[in-house]
Amino acid sequence: MAKLGIFDLAVRYGKLTAIADLSFTVTEGERVFISGPNGAGKSSLLSAIAGAVRAAHGRIEMDGEILSGLGAEAIARRGLSMVPEGRRIFAGLTVLENLTVGTGMRRDRGAVADDLETVFTAFPILRERARASAGALSGGQQQMLAIARALMTNPKVMLVDEPSLGLAPKVVDEVYDRLCQLQGLRGLTLVIVEQSSARAARVGGRMLLMRGGRIVADGDATEFAARDLLTEAYFGGAA
Amino acid sequence: MSLQLLFDALALGGIYAIAALGIALIFGVMRLVNFAHGQFIACAVFALIVPSTDALAVLGLGALPAPVLVPLILMIGAGLAVLAEALVFRPMRNASPVALMVGSFALGVALQNLLLVLYGGRPKAVSLWAELGQPVQVGSASVPLLQLIVIAAVVVILAALAIMLRKSRLGLEMRAAAEDFTMARMLGVRSNRVISGAFALSGALAAVVALVLVAQTGVADVRMGGQIMLVAFIATVVGGMGSLSGAVAAGLGIGAASALLQAGLPAEARPFRDAFLYGGVILVLLFRPQGLFAPVGAKPRV
Repeated sequence: MAKLGIFDLAVRYGKLTAIADLSFTVTEGERVFISGPNGAGKSSLLSAIAGAVRAAHGRIEMDGEILSGLGAEAIARRGLSMVPEGRRIFAGLTVLENLTVGTGMRRDRGAVADDLETVFTAFPILRERARASAGALSGGQQQMLAIARALMTNPKVMLVDEPSLGLAPKVVDEVYDRLCQLQGLRGLTLVIVEQSSARAARVGGRMLLMRGGRIVADGDATEFAARDLLTEAYFGGAA
Repeated sequence: MSLQLLFDALALGGIYAIAALGIALIFGVMRLVNFAHGQFIACAVFALIVPSTDALAVLGLGALPAPVLVPLILMIGAGLAVLAEALVFRPMRNASPVALMVGSFALGVALQNLLLVLYGGRPKAVSLWAELGQPVQVGSASVPLLQLIVIAAVVVILAALAIMLRKSRLGLEMRAAAEDFTMARMLGVRSNRVISGAFALSGALAAVVALVLVAQTGVADVRMGGQIMLVAFIATVVGGMGSLSGAVAAGLGIGAASALLQAGLPAEARPFRDAFLYGGVILVLLFRPQGLFAPVGAKPRV
């Protein structure tokens, strides 16, 4: 059974259609990159899955349970976590407080301390800056904090929206390496928005190419990088 | 500055700060300016006396000993606010901030009319804790005992609230929600819990203001929340909408400025005290339209 299933999903903002009749499934433990030009509907797709944006129609399932129609907090409580576009860390809270916000819903109190140790090991800078205000972190550190914060909810599925945005190439590589390492450690299912097929190919995974609110191609990230299908999508050759 | 004046400024500013906090707490989590806050205060005042339209007020709950009365009135204030949220603001959860604000006006008018029906429109004399009016000698100043208690209570309340916001789970969730409510929800924070919590705290703070107002003035009036609500609202704007410390600072500042002007202005200018006061408010807003302490969450996200 698919871990995450999207069926005929549509998202509209007023008259503007962001996503039209989009379907795909993700198996447990899979790493799926979603790519495509600006305005293709990538962020709308993730926001709809996380319940931050209401779908016009369609169905979203996790482990066979229907998520669409539930609120963002109910979806988070079922084990789906979001690292949103622009990170959206709580700048006025400390690093440790940011990590603690998402643990309130957990019943496995004992495991929370272990998870904190896990994210501190993966991102030692967060341990160093635990008492510092999160707003004082650099962009790369804020991205690490956003990923760590999502992990602290003990998710089964994690959505990550453009983790590379605005970061130096070296930092991007570090963020991806840690993210993939944590995925292996926790058996996470990952859906990542990433513009660059080269960056996706570096860590490997499946890639969906979106354009105009639809999926126009589905394949292996390395193949996308090699064939440079993305260029065609940007300049209108693919569809 | 005389010691007497310092106590006046602290007591008045402290009450304004508590009232402003009640508004800022709710604005922080749901971007609602709750104009019914003044009526929450009035309802807590009238909860002290037995409902009747007679001119003479008979103390009901107000006759209870203070250790019972204070927590009880605080709970009534909190309960009223939580009930108002559940009945009025929860069905409007996805409405625009303007619609919410109009909703709070409507709630305020409804509450005021409920009080008019139950208690009549005439102000009533209420003698609550009359013994606290006696003066105490503090250094060179002779200060009413009530004023000292008010100042102490304000300090205790502010400290307790600060600790609650820093140390408790609900406090953490409220601070996170105040910065980015959707993000907090995506981390599993229950919006109903956070919003109810903010309303409960706000209602309890309204009850504190009610107790102080009655003890100070000895009057219960259906309209009595309105004036302080106006000052408190101005304080939240000057402090920076949504900033709790800003609301406290601005509340204290406005109260202190009011007391200073009262004492410092020449006698013929004294009737225009509020004009000077609000002129100062306009000046502050001209130079800092976002308020003195614009909160983190109100900044545009990059």
